[in-house]
Amino acid sequence: MDTLHYLGIGFGVALSPYNLLTAFCGALIGTVVGLLPGLGPVNGVALLIPIAFALGLPPETALILLAAVYLGCEYGGRISSILLNIPGEASAVMTTLDGYPLARQGKAGVALSLSAWSSFIGGTIATLGVVLFAPLLATWAVAFGPAEYFVLMVFAITCLAGMADNKPLKTAVAALIGLFLSCVGIDANSGVYRFTFGSLGLADGIQFVVLVLGLFSVSEILVLLERTHHGQKAVKASGRMLFNFKEGTSVFATNMRSGVVGFVLGVLPGAGATLASAVAYMSEKRMAHKDNRFGKGDLRGLAAPETANSAAACGAMVPMLTLGVPGSGTTAVMLGALTLYNITPGPMLFQSQPDIVWGLIASLFVANVMLIVMNVPMVRVFTRILAVPTWALVPAIAIITSIGVYAVHSTTFDLFLMIGIGICGYALRKLDFSLSAVLLGFILGGMMEENLRRALSLSNGELGILWGSPITLVVWALVALMIALPVIRAWRARKPSAVQVAG
Amino acid sequence: MHDRIFAGSNLLICTVLAVLAWGYHAPFAYEPVGPRAFPLLLLLLIAGAALYQLFKPLGHAPAKEEPGLDRHVSRKISLCIAAMLAYAAVFEVLGFIPSSVLFAVAMARLYGASGLQSGVGGALIAVGLYLLFDYGLDVPLPLGMLASLEN
Repeated sequence: MDTLHYLGIGFGVALSPYNLLTAFCGALIGTVVGLLPGLGPVNGVALLIPIAFALGLPPETALILLAAVYLGCEYGGRISSILLNIPGEASAVMTTLDGYPLARQGKAGVALSLSAWSSFIGGTIATLGVVLFAPLLATWAVAFGPAEYFVLMVFAITCLAGMADNKPLKTAVAALIGLFLSCVGIDANSGVYRFTFGSLGLADGIQFVVLVLGLFSVSEILVLLERTHHGQKAVKASGRMLFNFKEGTSVFATNMRSGVVGFVLGVLPGAGATLASAVAYMSEKRMAHKDNRFGKGDLRGLAAPETANSAAACGAMVPMLTLGVPGSGTTAVMLGALTLYNITPGPMLFQSQPDIVWGLIASLFVANVMLIVMNVPMVRVFTRILAVPTWALVPAIAIITSIGVYAVHSTTFDLFLMIGIGICGYALRKLDFSLSAVLLGFILGGMMEENLRRALSLSNGELGILWGSPITLVVWALVALMIALPVIRAWRARKPSAVQVAG
Repeated sequence: MHDRIFAGSNLLICTVLAVLAWGYHAPFAYEPVGPRAFPLLLLLLIAGAALYQLFKPLGHAPAKEEPGLDRHVSRKISLCIAAMLAYAAVFEVLGFIPSSVLFAVAMARLYGASGLQSGVGGALIAVGLYLLFDYGLDVPLPLGMLASLEN
């Protein structure tokens, strides 16, 4: 009953005219950011933080804006996947497999509306999941002490590496680099300057907006230089714009299954929307009959990844809100935004600031409805944005990025730092390291060290506290499982019989 | 091969940083864990992974997701980085509008616009973004040498 009561409060917050307008703007911006190749939810959310700050938005409104942008990106990414065969962002890669063939067959309108509907179902299933599980997890997480938190963050890092399909070691190294970067600056406990090299600009640590925009925006600008895709013409969305009842029911079971899969994978730290859409697509393909048309324009192949990535985007809110441990790159950025407002996410947030938490959850519902209403009729407007040439887009992105970084501290030092980080990020990316892992490590780093030191203060330096309670033991077991996962996978791949199954 | 070069330089950087970190300790310690333990632990783990990468046997490497670089692309990338660095350097000195016009024109050229396109497009982007952010969104931007024109 409590949940319903709080949800009522949440809708009160989310439905205030000001917040409704914010959610609408966020959904619109998110869709545009999502559909432009080269800009994903991470950049979109990171760019909006300085703006939200400059506008003096209250924390719940800022959070609603960011959440709407995040969801909007998952909706927008599908448009360029279907019409251009270029995913607008990473989690829409699987959508190209069946979406583009459908568009080529003249069913672009059907594909667009059906995928919007799938996103809507995915988002709704996952938001219901958030309503059910987040308060539960929060009440349970109150029992977490610093030692438990530390182990949990170790789990988040190993989970990230274990879930990364073919390069667990590189992902782990990327996360460790991120953790290390969080050590730069004055150490809060002892006042020692660490790794600042005498620079005043680094004394405060690396600002996370600088890190995010350097890693994702600057490196993306450099990547776009090598892939100036020309000659790709968008398929014209013509003919029937809405899917019919038969098409809708034929994918309904797929929607349901993929929604649940997406939510579960979204909740797991480090798995995220990209993995969720891939898993959903693969399992639907495996479940389908022999005469399926997956890869050649099967509606189920379109519905599965779209449902899953929206569901995962919402599911990622659960660990962020309840534990303060982000589940994806984008929620890591949102967490950073919350700390800018001096709000520490975690189980206590549900008790101390229910209007923020429940306002955010309710606004997920609201943004979802807005997005489906917006996306079906306005799809022609959005497709026109795809015609903007790269040479106009990239300078604009670069300048907006610079404004975002400059707005934080008004120093050009941050601009140079961002470019430096961007160059390193580009190099890491060329070497197949995951940049999301660096970001997640950076966000977790401060909390991880803080909790480790607090735990060891409690026990007077006795390391045993780290595996002293049942909760820590369970989490350590999960850590071991996650470390074992890539090893098992490598071992199975070496067996010849596995090759036949995969083929 | 690139991986091994990266691992090697990684190892080197880790060593240097570890030497640096060794010197960090708190003048007054109230806690059992000082400021150097956590970074040292991380550096140790990174160095361990780098060592493994450096000496692991050559297996069949998984297919790379990113395409390699040729001379043409790497020239463009260094030009792009130079443009960004120059932009950061003149951002406050020249002020937002002039520096952004120059930067946008250069970037547009780099991404394949014609002379006229980049000139008009660059100017429009810079002025448009200035109006949007300074007036629309209240983000203060440096006026630089245009400051005297105000008032």
